[in-house]
Amino acid sequence: MKIFKSIKWRLQLWYGLILVVVLAGFGFTAYQLERGKMYRQIDNELMRRVGGIANALGPPPHDHNAGEPAFDRPPPGQRPDDGPPDNNLRPVREFHLPPEMAGLFDPNDSYNFYFIINSPDGRELARSTNAPEVKTWVDTRKGDALFQPQPNFLHSTTVQSVGKHRDIIQTLPRGEMIRVGCTIAPALKEFHLLIFKLTGVGAVILFLGLVGGGWLVSRLLKPISSISATALKISAGDLSRRINVAETESELGQLAAVLNSTFARLETAFAQQQQFTADAAHELRTPVSVILTQTQTALNREREAGDYKQTVEACQRAAQRMRKLIESLLALARFDAGQEVLKRLPFDFSKTISDCAELVQPLAAERGVKIVSEMSPLQVTGDSERLAQVVTNLLTNAIQYNRPSGEVRVKLESQSGLAVLTVADTGRGIAAEDLSRVFERFYRADKSRTGTGSAGLGLSICKAIVTAHGGTIEAASAAGSGTTFIIRLPASR
Amino acid sequence: MRILIVEDEPDLLASLAQALREEGYAVDTAANGNDGLFNAEGTDYDAIVLDVMLPGLDGWEILKRLRKTKKTPVLMLTARDQTRDRVKGLDTGADDYVVKPFDLEEIFARLRALIRRSANKTTNLLEIGEVKIDTAARNVFFKDKPVELTAREYSLVEFMALHRGEVVTRTQLYEHLFDENESSLSNLLDVHVSNVRKKLGAEFIVTRRGHGYCIE
Repeated sequence: MKIFKSIKWRLQLWYGLILVVVLAGFGFTAYQLERGKMYRQIDNELMRRVGGIANALGPPPHDHNAGEPAFDRPPPGQRPDDGPPDNNLRPVREFHLPPEMAGLFDPNDSYNFYFIINSPDGRELARSTNAPEVKTWVDTRKGDALFQPQPNFLHSTTVQSVGKHRDIIQTLPRGEMIRVGCTIAPALKEFHLLIFKLTGVGAVILFLGLVGGGWLVSRLLKPISSISATALKISAGDLSRRINVAETESELGQLAAVLNSTFARLETAFAQQQQFTADAAHELRTPVSVILTQTQTALNREREAGDYKQTVEACQRAAQRMRKLIESLLALARFDAGQEVLKRLPFDFSKTISDCAELVQPLAAERGVKIVSEMSPLQVTGDSERLAQVVTNLLTNAIQYNRPSGEVRVKLESQSGLAVLTVADTGRGIAAEDLSRVFERFYRADKSRTGTGSAGLGLSICKAIVTAHGGTIEAASAAGSGTTFIIRLPASR
Repeated sequence: MRILIVEDEPDLLASLAQALREEGYAVDTAANGNDGLFNAEGTDYDAIVLDVMLPGLDGWEILKRLRKTKKTPVLMLTARDQTRDRVKGLDTGADDYVVKPFDLEEIFARLRALIRRSANKTTNLLEIGEVKIDTAARNVFFKDKPVELTAREYSLVEFMALHRGEVVTRTQLYEHLFDENESSLSNLLDVHVSNVRKKLGAEFIVTRRGHGYCIE
């Protein structure tokens, strides 16, 4: 179900559930309180009537305490003798509802109060006209025992609800049982109305709460939908888009800022990748053009064997150039991906450097450039072949970009645990704006050297190799006074 | 037709020059920007094939400087194929633009179109009296019959036909029919003219004494 995966709907659901629980708890408590209050009121009314009847029945014969309530004292005229009381053997007393109490048992009252008085032996002494037929005296104590039986006064009091009636059954010390009851139908009706009202109010509150909560949640989640809309556009390819960070204070604003900076870095990386691909394609275009024009020209008509040879040679040169480029690209890709496996063996760096110098000596001689070196044996741990590639590259550059009969100074020294190699030429130097970019891929400080077969990847590869050895490479130059490349590698102890 | 190629990749330059020569063009070459601009400014080429990335002056710079003095049609060669590069090339004054790697046939066709347009012609077919010239197929018909012409003779006919009604000086003809490496023996041109007259009728090329030649 998609709807349950939406934060908005989940929030709404929880919110609604909590609201329902709170409202239900509140409603139930209110209902209970109201119900208790109503029963208390009814019971008070009933007790008032019980008291009145007991009073009317007269005091127990034993009781001489004038301070005792008078209602237990039977009227003197109804007393056959003044002998010692015996509850079981007491004569049946007559009971007439005193006129002042008639209003309390008005049959027209909506509560329809009634009474039944029984003698201790179970005979009915009196009953109000509206009293229901009671088959048995309910002896259960299920009802709310609101009154504790009081010694010397009340033998026992039972409060019970039977059907739509509520009764209080009071047993007098002498044994008479007074039952006073009323119908609670009007109260129940009021209860039902209360339940209805509470439910209605609860529903309205729930509705308002859900609507308000929904509005609030939508408002809060609005930045998220704007973030996701922007992210969607970016994922569709428009990397230049950014999330509008209106409120930087909130958590969402911070998230948007973080996302924006991520997008910016992505865009840069993407642009670099694109530039790299475009440059690589560009570098491949020229040799392919050579092969195409050479072969198409050769095939245009019958040729001499020598012409074909020339064509094949030109194609070979072009293919070699492409091979070199592809190797460079692959090497860079491997270094980028961390897949290049470097040997980690200690070797004498000065020996490697002099080997390289020997290798480029013919080129130097051709240009009339002198290689001056100042080295002492120095152990370095790493891949000697790869580092030799770096040194050869730097030396070749230093010779090629030198002035005729210039000088290349090579110096290897140990500086605070580092092997420092300096290769300095006496060429015309590199302009400051180019200097910072010489290690960039396909970057050529001298843009005229397009036809030399150099793609501008040499120094990038040097940097990748040196970096993979945990070292640094940097270039320094002052226009007119040559260029110096400095490599620092951790020396092995 | 004489063409200048400015291209720094030697193998590409050599094969392009050879292919165009075999197409009957007189071809001059330059391997760097400075030589290229010097040649382009000094000679009335029928078209220039100009690489963008060059040592010395680059293609854009050559074009910018050349446009101050000459309207020679320029076909730019470049390895950059992004739209902004094309737009830049055309805006700077290039007449056409070819992206490396290219097919020779495409270069040939584009050069023909450039030359034709610069002579204000819209089709490859030129008709002069009973002579018909198909500049695409490099065929000449006289009275609806194909005529065998040498490459140099064809170039002479085509050049004169494209400049129909104008008096073409001998210097102009030398400039457009021979490249810088050929020794321009003065009677070589007369030999070509008389051969063409033999094949296409004596009145096809009229001599203007002291001025040059003309197709009317």
